[in-house]
Amino acid sequence: MYPRETGYFRPSNMEEALKFLDKETESRPLAGGQSLIPMMRYRLISPSYLVDITHLNMSHIKATGSELRIGATTRYAELLANNEVGKMAPLLHKTLMHVGDYQVRSMGTLGGSASNADPGSDSPAALMAMNAKFVLRSGGGNREVAAKDFFKGPFTTDLKQGELLEEIVIPTHSDYKTNYMKLVRRAGDYAIVSVALMLKMKGDSVEDVRLAYANASDRPYRAREAEDFLRGKKLTDDNVREAGEIASKHSSPPSDIRGSSEYRRELIKLVTMKALRGMA
Amino acid sequence: MNYVGKSVKRIFDPRLITGRQNYVDDINFQGLHAAFVRSPYAHAKVKSIDTSDAMKSKGVVAVLTGKDLKLREPMRPWVTYIDTSHLKNAPRYIFHDTVKYVGEPVAIVLATDRYYATDAAEKVNVDYEQLKPVTTMEAAAEDKVLVHPDLGTNIAYDSNFNAGNAEEAIKRADVRIPVEIANERLSPSPMEPRGLVSRYESGFLTVWISTQIPHILRNEFARMLGLESSKIRVVMPDIGGAFGSKAHIIPEELAVIAASMKLNSTVKWVATRSEEMLASTARHNHFKGEVGFMKDGTLVGIKGTLDVEMGAYITYTSMIQPQIIPPMIPGPYSVKNLAIRSRAVYTNTLPITMYRGASRPEATFIIERIMSIGADELKMTDVDIRMKNLIPPSSMPYKNPFGLQYDSGDYPGLLRKAVEKLEYNKLRSWAQEERKKGHRVGVGMAFYLEICGFGPWEYAEVRVDEYGNVSVITGATPHGQGTETGIAQIVADELGVDMNRITVIWGDTAVVPAGFGTYGSRSISLAGSAAALAARKILERMKSVAASQLGVEKVEYVQGEFRGGGKSMKWEEVARKAYEVKDPGLMAYQFYEANVTFPYGVGVAVVEVDEFGIPKVLKYMSYDDIGKVINPLLAEGQVYGAVVQAVGQALYEDAKIDENGQLAVTFGEYYVPTFMEAPEMKSQFTDDPHNSGYTTGSKGIGEAGLIVGPAVVIRALEDAVGARFTKTPTKPEEILRSMKK
Amino acid sequence: MLVRPGDTVKVTMKVNGAKHEVEVEPRKLLVHTLRDMGLTGTKVGCDSSVCGACTVILNGRPVKSCTLLTVQADQGEIITIEGISSEGKLHPIQEAFWENHALQCGYCTSGMIMNAYAFLKEHKNPTDEEIRDYMHGNICRCTGYQNIVNAVREAAKRMGQ
Repeated sequence: MYPRETGYFRPSNMEEALKFLDKETESRPLAGGQSLIPMMRYRLISPSYLVDITHLNMSHIKATGSELRIGATTRYAELLANNEVGKMAPLLHKTLMHVGDYQVRSMGTLGGSASNADPGSDSPAALMAMNAKFVLRSGGGNREVAAKDFFKGPFTTDLKQGELLEEIVIPTHSDYKTNYMKLVRRAGDYAIVSVALMLKMKGDSVEDVRLAYANASDRPYRAREAEDFLRGKKLTDDNVREAGEIASKHSSPPSDIRGSSEYRRELIKLVTMKALRGMA
Repeated sequence: MNYVGKSVKRIFDPRLITGRQNYVDDINFQGLHAAFVRSPYAHAKVKSIDTSDAMKSKGVVAVLTGKDLKLREPMRPWVTYIDTSHLKNAPRYIFHDTVKYVGEPVAIVLATDRYYATDAAEKVNVDYEQLKPVTTMEAAAEDKVLVHPDLGTNIAYDSNFNAGNAEEAIKRADVRIPVEIANERLSPSPMEPRGLVSRYESGFLTVWISTQIPHILRNEFARMLGLESSKIRVVMPDIGGAFGSKAHIIPEELAVIAASMKLNSTVKWVATRSEEMLASTARHNHFKGEVGFMKDGTLVGIKGTLDVEMGAYITYTSMIQPQIIPPMIPGPYSVKNLAIRSRAVYTNTLPITMYRGASRPEATFIIERIMSIGADELKMTDVDIRMKNLIPPSSMPYKNPFGLQYDSGDYPGLLRKAVEKLEYNKLRSWAQEERKKGHRVGVGMAFYLEICGFGPWEYAEVRVDEYGNVSVITGATPHGQGTETGIAQIVADELGVDMNRITVIWGDTAVVPAGFGTYGSRSISLAGSAAALAARKILERMKSVAASQLGVEKVEYVQGEFRGGGKSMKWEEVARKAYEVKDPGLMAYQFYEANVTFPYGVGVAVVEVDEFGIPKVLKYMSYDDIGKVINPLLAEGQVYGAVVQAVGQALYEDAKIDENGQLAVTFGEYYVPTFMEAPEMKSQFTDDPHNSGYTTGSKGIGEAGLIVGPAVVIRALEDAVGARFTKTPTKPEEILRSMKK
Repeated sequence: MLVRPGDTVKVTMKVNGAKHEVEVEPRKLLVHTLRDMGLTGTKVGCDSSVCGACTVILNGRPVKSCTLLTVQADQGEIITIEGISSEGKLHPIQEAFWENHALQCGYCTSGMIMNAYAFLKEHKNPTDEEIRDYMHGNICRCTGYQNIVNAVREAAKRMGQ
């Protein structure tokens, strides 16, 4: 309920921030705090310092022809209010409406959720499906990491000590049909399972499909085997069912208060089928 | 002027909608904040407590343990309602040498700030020697590991409730059905976590506390702390919900009071939500038995064992369940042969409190499940099998097999009306058609008979001041129900005055001479009746003053005027004069003695289940006979709130205890329903009410929705999926499994 | 700006139109600072950031003040429940809550009203489904929600006039 003592550092520029994060090994960056502060209140984590990164010009939404560059500290509410985001990256809008609740979306940031890498979180699943790229900034410069290499495990990313997530790059996909289907025990909760689906058809065959899930593994789960199976095929009942079964087969969902892994495996199959059928 | 029966707006809402409420945490004070050191083990000896590090922590003034804080007498159950003669009760004090549940407090830290107190509590070093715990009722009943070795058993209470000859009746029945029916542990979860501010100055104790029972607390504090009751003042601030769970005392509260006495200081403690969940979990019971039906649907006998979990200690109210569930199992049905063994079982888990309905939801769930299971087995409808068994109006007043006297009612008549008004059959046909299209939707119903209006009495005092303004001092302790508004309506009608002239006062033992409190759906009936009679006494006095002023024998009181001998006096004049004459004053009180009454009704729900096994209650409708309805808006409000709690109990809420005895959920995973899970609801009260014998004619509505709701929702769920469920909560995983069969 | 653990930091906020300067530890939650300032209308209902009883408006958006450090509100503009009625004149949302019996114990009410206040600014003509969806971050244990939906719907109508 009451966090432990912590220090607070508000850097005036990126270099200061990076230097501090590198030196203070127990410090954590603070953007929206919607994941960090609840953990601090339960005293599950106690950072030595909180480094306030919300004044480092990372709250931008820039659209080029083929991609959306979103600053790491851009709030969910800003993204949802932005029509360009809705047009160019419809999956992102569909996903963010399911994150937490109205109040959480005022403060929570896309970068925060990505760096937190909770396997049950919604936006990492969508970012996986969208083949997002993560721009990581350090004292030595920038590097870009693909989503599949960024999410390494539960609450674990490729961010190194002294590195900060600066920007998230989303390839635009207005030519895809998209959906985010989230199954919950109660509104606002983490998913029992969820699926982020992107689909491009050529005639009545699948040209490209992306299937990514929350709470289906120890990180956002891309059902690549199911995607490979579907590419080039028609969306018949049989193919849809088999895709669901393949997706389920390669998942390794957790058991928790929301459901057992057995139940989740079944749901992964069923929600995949429902999402695909809904695209017809 | 006629207020009773109308949907009058509540009189104290402006305070609540402008942020001017005054709950216990809003009380500003000079003093210390408390935090607790709690056991991480379900069963352990406390070998030693080292407070030296904590004492060096910033802002800490004291760290007190069992050797510092003692009670003269231990906590005990509510003897007004609980028979303790055959109870194996382990005495419970503030801090013990052996801890018996995860979260049990072992020390209290006093500091200048809550953050500092919490920091210091982490620095108290407790050396525990772990002992083997027993954390399930099933294991505990075997008595292999004892929670209280001195008692020699984990069975705190073991009593047989027998009527007629159940064994014989079931043997001779056409159909015998085994039944196993359970409610899992819940957390009442009022939005306001409990707490108190305790101030002790040289022999005088004042406690502001989030409670439903201030007078009872005063008496209990006097007894346990060894203080004169006249030197204790208990004040109820605004209360953010209670649902029965704040008719309760926990060791933390006693520790705060004892600490304030020891330090001669003011001490404040408000539970965090996690601590509120530790303070109050409820309703874990398991019934296993057999019932007998005749082919025509007559229920002839019920036998079985009811196990009710107590947790590590018997609390103020937990024994109400094992003692009141069995006599209410027959419900509104004419079954006369019952053999129910009722046991209360200790486990090394959080001690249980009562929760809205306090034994009637459990009893209703059992009998309504029995009725519906019987209907299924005999291929009868829910309505027909109940019609076959409901006690007819000609038998009223009816003495039930365990001696409870059902006062008034027409149960079959109400069922018939409910079926018609709620369009039950139309709904069921619609659901059947929908299911053919693959839409998994179901309609369920259940009937309840409720016992409420618990006595022995309630207190009211009515005062009219020199300006003719009215104060009603009541022993009721409304904490969100709006009863104070209902009482004002009643008194306004009795006195023929505008409701705006009336203030209702409650909750302060220094101001209210006596009272029991608000629980058990008793307040509008008992406190309202007391207020009505006290108001009548005042009116008589005013008439006599007016008569003597007007020089006549008798006066008539008509619309604010006292008339006699061709002259008249206004209300204000008489009020003023009443303070100028010999024998001045205008106050009257009434102890209203009464015993229980029995409202009843029907609930119908529409439940939809998706392909993932996830259920949603779409609609819930109720049709109740609660006697005279004093304020329909407020009565409906009680139904709506209770129904959503019933939805929570049936499908969402599980205060799960893991194998280490730990509460396995935080409030984030304890699924109190939100706007999205709550159904659309419609509450109706019958146009043919059967009044109670109380002055008000009302019966009670506060708990009814939660009493019948779980049975209604589970029945609708069964209809949607075509499977049998006998447990609350029934979860999606189980539902999906049954769909695959 | 660097604040060491255990030290305090000066935070400046505008609350209900008035400028306030407080000196708090970085770990102090915004809800506690507001309450210590005497604005006790904002409540603490849980410790899991789910119940919404602590909802206030920060820079035009509804936020859970228990899931914010005071220091995050530096230079911010805050509106609390105490700030939406003036001189005894109730805001239409408050009136609608009263008329519709959309509160019982009142503990969730401040948060409900503030979230509705923010929501109705963005959605002038909401459906019942939208009301429920945008308000599910506010939990009520007493009312069963139906009367609250009625109140918010009515408030929207009144405010639209």
